[in-house]
Amino acid sequence: MSSSHRSRLLFGSTIAAIACLGAVSTACTGEVDAPRLGRIERVYEPGPVVLPRLTEVQYRASVEQALGGQDVDPSLGPLPQLPLEPDTNPYLFYNVGAASTTLSEVGTQRYEESAHAIANAVVLDPARRAAVIGCEPASPDDPCVSGAISRLGRRLYRRPLTADESVRWVRISSELAGGDASRGLALALAGMLQSASFLYRVELGEDDTERAGWRRFSDLEVASRMSFLLWNTAPDDELLDAAMAGDLEDADGVHGQALRLMEDPRARRAVRAFFAQYFDLSRLANVRERDATLHPQFTPSLMVAMRTEIELVVDDVVFTRDADVRELLRTRRTFVNQELADLYELDVEGVSPITFVPVELPDDGPRAGILTLGAFLTANAHPTETSPTLRGKYIRERLLCDLVPPPPPGVSTDIPPVMGTPRTLRERLEAHRVRPDCAACHANIDPPGYLFEGFDSIGHTRETDHGFPVDTSGGLDGVPLSNGRELGELLADDPRVSLCITRQLFRHVNGRLERDGEEAAIRELSRDFLAGGSRFLDLLLAFVTSDAFRYAAPSDDAPMSDDGGEP
Amino acid sequence: MKFLSRRTMLRGTVAGSAIALALPQLDAMLRPSGALAGGETPRPFFGVFYWANGVPWHARHGGEQAAAGVPDVWTPPTLGAGATMSEMLEPLARHQATIFTGLEPKTAVPPSPPGQEDGHMRGFMVALTGDRIRPEGFDHPSHTLAPLRQTIDQFVARDPSFYGSNAPRFRSVHCGVSDARFHDYGHWNAISYNGPSSQNLPLMRPDQLYNLLFAVPPDADELRTRASLLDAVREDAQGLRTRLGAGDRARLDEHLDHVREIERRMTAATGAACVAPPPPSDGDLMGRANEMAELLAVALKCELTGVFTFMLTAPASTHVFSNVGVPDGLHKVCHDGLWENVRRVTRHQMECFATVLDRLAETTDATGASLMDRGLVLGVTEYGEGWKHSTNELPAILAGGANGRIARGHHVREEGGNFARVHLTALQALGIQAGGAPIANWGWNGGETDRPFTELLT
Repeated sequence: MSSSHRSRLLFGSTIAAIACLGAVSTACTGEVDAPRLGRIERVYEPGPVVLPRLTEVQYRASVEQALGGQDVDPSLGPLPQLPLEPDTNPYLFYNVGAASTTLSEVGTQRYEESAHAIANAVVLDPARRAAVIGCEPASPDDPCVSGAISRLGRRLYRRPLTADESVRWVRISSELAGGDASRGLALALAGMLQSASFLYRVELGEDDTERAGWRRFSDLEVASRMSFLLWNTAPDDELLDAAMAGDLEDADGVHGQALRLMEDPRARRAVRAFFAQYFDLSRLANVRERDATLHPQFTPSLMVAMRTEIELVVDDVVFTRDADVRELLRTRRTFVNQELADLYELDVEGVSPITFVPVELPDDGPRAGILTLGAFLTANAHPTETSPTLRGKYIRERLLCDLVPPPPPGVSTDIPPVMGTPRTLRERLEAHRVRPDCAACHANIDPPGYLFEGFDSIGHTRETDHGFPVDTSGGLDGVPLSNGRELGELLADDPRVSLCITRQLFRHVNGRLERDGEEAAIRELSRDFLAGGSRFLDLLLAFVTSDAFRYAAPSDDAPMSDDGGEP
Repeated sequence: MKFLSRRTMLRGTVAGSAIALALPQLDAMLRPSGALAGGETPRPFFGVFYWANGVPWHARHGGEQAAAGVPDVWTPPTLGAGATMSEMLEPLARHQATIFTGLEPKTAVPPSPPGQEDGHMRGFMVALTGDRIRPEGFDHPSHTLAPLRQTIDQFVARDPSFYGSNAPRFRSVHCGVSDARFHDYGHWNAISYNGPSSQNLPLMRPDQLYNLLFAVPPDADELRTRASLLDAVREDAQGLRTRLGAGDRARLDEHLDHVREIERRMTAATGAACVAPPPPSDGDLMGRANEMAELLAVALKCELTGVFTFMLTAPASTHVFSNVGVPDGLHKVCHDGLWENVRRVTRHQMECFATVLDRLAETTDATGASLMDRGLVLGVTEYGEGWKHSTNELPAILAGGANGRIARGHHVREEGGNFARVHLTALQALGIQAGGAPIANWGWNGGETDRPFTELLT
């Protein structure tokens, strides 16, 4: 990846930033969701800090990075993975669930059990002990113990332990050791693994000296925010060292470290994870059944393959090709295994059930772009029939960030059954068009969905529905279109898609919805993103070096104070 | 009945870990006659059973169905005591369940944010909390919502008049069967809340419930050490605590309360007087419901807990009931109004409910009484008329005798009545007190009531 062309939006003087943002207010129009999102653009004001718990992926990756020892001894296997409380994803993102939900009692117990299993694995396996601890404690007060607590504690807490914390865990390792120094160390590790300072991302900032009501994230907190965004895990030793050396105080330093992180394989995993959440790919795991007569090709492993396919396409567009991210919507390049090749009726050499092979979809075929691939088509359909409404709603809400209101109360959402006069689903949905109470919304939702009627409930092409020819004509915002590929072409040039991705990334990064005062930052990031060709890595770099990444406001309910007192 | 020594320990190896079961306080306190030492009746237990997407249709659905010749197969045809069960409710007849019909949510629906009248959310909240949705943060398009308060199971589990100072090993236990869900988050996979953002996610597999209840670390010294460590974990959080805003501090405090609760559990006396059931296998919906119910029955009998929730299917479930010949997801089946399919699924869900109750009914406690004589199980769902997203005719079912405090086998009908009356009736039957007298009020934001169904309370 080349760094020279990456655009930058520096942590700048706020005065300059305000002037810049103010000058372009009210430039954008068209989002249906405008009222909800604080349509009136105003001077940027940061939004409140949150306290996200680590997601399951972040927990496991952080633990491996801190205590796995594979960096020293690659032959070591993974640490134990006991079950944890499941994550939730309100507004699509696990980070939002992590910042808004409270851990349950069972979840607390699972952390307890997991902590002991991990700590024992670190200390009891001689190879792992050598790689992670690096010394053999002879007695509970051996400096080997306090050294390990201090070094591993910094990794787990993502900052150096305070003096009190060091004393606490050294004391615990001695008091509870029962004469066995290794056991004492394991218990101290199990304690730190249950610490709120490990389990929660403590990024609370400090009062900004120049702007009342602003909080400035410390360099170590910026390191943590960068790492969780770009790697979806905790900072490594080098990033912590950089933060402690003051290298992250300015945007240049952040830029340099960000480039390093983005060149690491962990960045590819993190970007895939973001898009998997944004595209709601986890819903494929809930597709358990399809009518066996109608869809003989359906298998649970096909659902996994569909997810993998999208992740590989994302990786290809974002990293390998460093292309306009909207290329996702029209690219003919995809990756198929045996099952997907069969589903798409492609003759591809080298595929197997587990081998994905890059292919160019035929130029004269029905497929190009992720909206014509299995994941979207299957997750937005029913077991026995398609759903133009679900497909259209997905396009509205996910790709355009539109607001689709619920059906009005008391309306029968009963779709006429198949029985009686045979007809297509599209004909049965005629009420959506002719009944005024339905048409008000469905006129926006269904037409883009109809474009995909040539694909059945698992994304197989079809020419008939209930025995009648399918009609794939539809459109978007009054622009008539004849099939899904045409929609992909249209959306791939639509600036709303770039703005929507920026907005979704903002939510993912901050673990909450944007506030009205933050709209200006989203618009500015989005404008630069679009102007630079909508390359996603540019957006990531611009984001981590922007004020919106470095500053926040105190939490809503009670402004915190650094000395621990009540305001 | 044979007296058991408090020191008796049952030790066995199950799935690689030794088990030690808690001593049932009930057994220890009982005389051979079955009466409690102090002449009191044993504490009842409380359960919530949840099934998704409401009921197929009934009388108030009006002309459209009647014209199509679709009968009301839900509402029992007779009223009062000894009511005849309808086709759908017939499986519950053997448990003398009391059926409530005609009730509806009375909570006010704020105009903003839009969509709060949606029954999957409004009906759900009223059926489980007695209150409306929390407007703040509600988002209909993404189906993101939170309750305003704890669900009724947690109200009971935390009410001082229920457990007193003698809380069992688990204040409550939460299990579920179908993990087919409409969304991956929020209330779409949980039916029990401690508060707005704090859920008790159900354990979805019988082996998970089994491990929670019965696979306790065996070594008392080890447990004591781990409990001591939890002291340090709580101490370690104090510095962070003071830097947080009120909302995040409350979240952290609740986490730390859980740490304390787990610590209490570790240091609680262990003993044994009842035998753990064999480890469960994994089955279909009915099979898993049955396995879960067997484990719950032991947990209740042994006083491991006194409150449970049982989520057969999640709100707006997309479960495919292909086992009864219905090829589509439940949510869609209800929307489509495919009567025969809805009828089959609803009947099957009631059969699962009856199976759960079977396992409790056939389990006797130390007095020789059936658990269903002692306990009370509230059956709820989010809709009355699922096919049109209406919460009219929001159904409720009460099974069990609550130590003889509630009459069984009634059909209570009040058209347009306040659903909160069912909750208040159940709470009074459980002996919940407020200010030294039986709890007198329930419901919020328009849903208030001070009228239990007194004809049922004995």
